[in-house]
Amino acid sequence: MKESKLIFCLVALFSFTIVFGQAKKPTLMIVPSDAWCIQNGYSMTFENQGSTEKIADYKRAFQENPEVLQVISQINGMMADRGFPLKNMESVIKTISSNSAEDNLRQSKTSGSEIAENPIDEFKKAAKADIIIQLTWTVNKTGPKKSINFNLQGLDSYTDKQIATATGTGAPSFSAETPVLLSEAVLSHMDNFTNSLQSHFDDMFENGREIIVRIQKWDDWDGDLETEYGGGDELGFVIEDWLQENTVKGRFNTTDMTENMALFEQVRIPLFNDRGNAIDARRYVRDLSKFLSSAPYNISNKLVMKGLGRATIILGSK
Amino acid sequence: MKRSYLLFTIVFMLFANFGAQAQWKKGKAHKDTTIWRYDIECEGVAKQGAKLVKVWSYSKNPKHAIASAMRNAVHGIIFNGYAGGGQGCTSLQPLLKDPSIAEEHEAFFDAFFEEGGEYLKYVSAATDGSIAPGDRLKVSRREYKIGVMVNVMYDQLRKRLEKENIVKSLTSGF
Repeated sequence: MKESKLIFCLVALFSFTIVFGQAKKPTLMIVPSDAWCIQNGYSMTFENQGSTEKIADYKRAFQENPEVLQVISQINGMMADRGFPLKNMESVIKTISSNSAEDNLRQSKTSGSEIAENPIDEFKKAAKADIIIQLTWTVNKTGPKKSINFNLQGLDSYTDKQIATATGTGAPSFSAETPVLLSEAVLSHMDNFTNSLQSHFDDMFENGREIIVRIQKWDDWDGDLETEYGGGDELGFVIEDWLQENTVKGRFNTTDMTENMALFEQVRIPLFNDRGNAIDARRYVRDLSKFLSSAPYNISNKLVMKGLGRATIILGSK
Repeated sequence: MKRSYLLFTIVFMLFANFGAQAQWKKGKAHKDTTIWRYDIECEGVAKQGAKLVKVWSYSKNPKHAIASAMRNAVHGIIFNGYAGGGQGCTSLQPLLKDPSIAEEHEAFFDAFFEEGGEYLKYVSAATDGSIAPGDRLKVSRREYKIGVMVNVMYDQLRKRLEKENIVKSLTSGF
C-alpha cells in the first residue's frame, strides 16, 4: 500500500514537472509578402488623404493562385513534420468572417442583449500569429530558361525583427514547370529556415523571450512619467529600475521616454515565473502593473496585451 | 580415417583463413579512412527528407575509399554540412553545431560508425555503383581520391539524433 502511494506521488510529481516545464509555444503562419501580392495583381488600391495606397488582397490571392497554395501546403507539411504545424491563413480568414457573422446574429436568450464589442475589439479581428513567415518568389526568365528566386523570412510580430531566413536562386531549367521549380526551391531552403528558427529558439531559452513594453497615460490623469515619488525619483526612472531588477540579466533598452509615454524594446523576460508557470508579455507586465498600483505609487492602470510579445500599461485608470 | 581428418583440417583452415582475410581487409578499409579525411559536396535537390551528396574519400586503395563513402557521407552531414553550389544547392549547416557535444556522446558515435554500424540505415547509393572516370583521381603516387554519389536520409537521421538528445528538436522546451 505504502509502495503504491509512493509510486503515485512520483508519477504526480513527474507530470507536474512536465506540465509546468513547457514554455508558451509561439504560433506561426505563412503570409505571401506585399511585394508578391502587388507584383501579381492581388492588391487593393485606395486613397488615403490625397496619396494612393496599395494593400495586399490575401483572400483573392488564396482563391485565384494555386501556386501560393502549393508552396504553403508544402511548407506546412514540412513544419508539421518538425512538430510545428502552422496556422493556415486562408482558414483563419474564413474563420474570422464566420465568427463575425455569428457574433452579429447572437442574442441573449433571457435579456435579448447582443455581444459586447468596442471598436478596438473589432480592429483586433485580424489574422495574426506570433511569428509571420513572409513568402516571396519571382520567376526569372531568360529565353526558354527559367529559374526561381525564393525568399522566406520569419518575422517576430511584436519586435518586428527578422528571426529566421532562407533565400536564394534555384537551378535554371529549360523544361521544368514553375510548380516543379517552386517545389525544389522549398525543399532546398526549408532546412536552412528551420535551422535559423532553431537558433532563435535556443537564444530565447538562454536569454529569455524578447518583448516590447509600452507605457502610456490617459489624457485625464493629472500625473505623468516625470512626476516624482517617495525618494524623489521620477516615475520613468522608477519603471526603469523595476525592469532592471526583473529582466533576464537586466537586459532592456529604453527607446523612447517623454512625460506622456515610454517605449522599452529588447526587454528579455524569463520564460517561467517563480512558481514554474510559463509566462508571456501580459503575465510579466501584470507584475509591473501591480507594482505601480500599490503603495507608494497608487497609480490605477490598465493593462493591454498583443500576443505573446507586446504589452502596454495605460496609467491613470482602468 | 586419417585421410578424412586431414581433409577436414585443410578445408577448415582454408575457410578460417578466407574469413580472417575478409575481416582484415574490412578493418584495413576502416583504418585507412578512420581519420575522417573526406570532402562532401551537394549534388542537387533530392527527394523530401533526403540530401543528395557526393563524397570524396581518400585512400591508398580505391576500393577502401569506395567502401567508406557511405560512412563519410553520414559523418559529413552530422559534423560538417556543406557549402551550396550549382544544381539548386543551398548551403547546409551540420546537424551538430557544437563539437563538444560529440565528445559527450563519444560512445554512441563509436558504435554508430563502427563497421556495419547503424549509420547504414541512413544512407543509400544514388548510382548503380560504378564510379565515373572523372570521380577516380590519383592525387599522389600512393593515394586515390574517389567521388561517390549517395543519398543521406537527412530527416530520419536528425530524428534519430533527437531521440538520443544529441540534437535539439524544434519543439524542445515548448
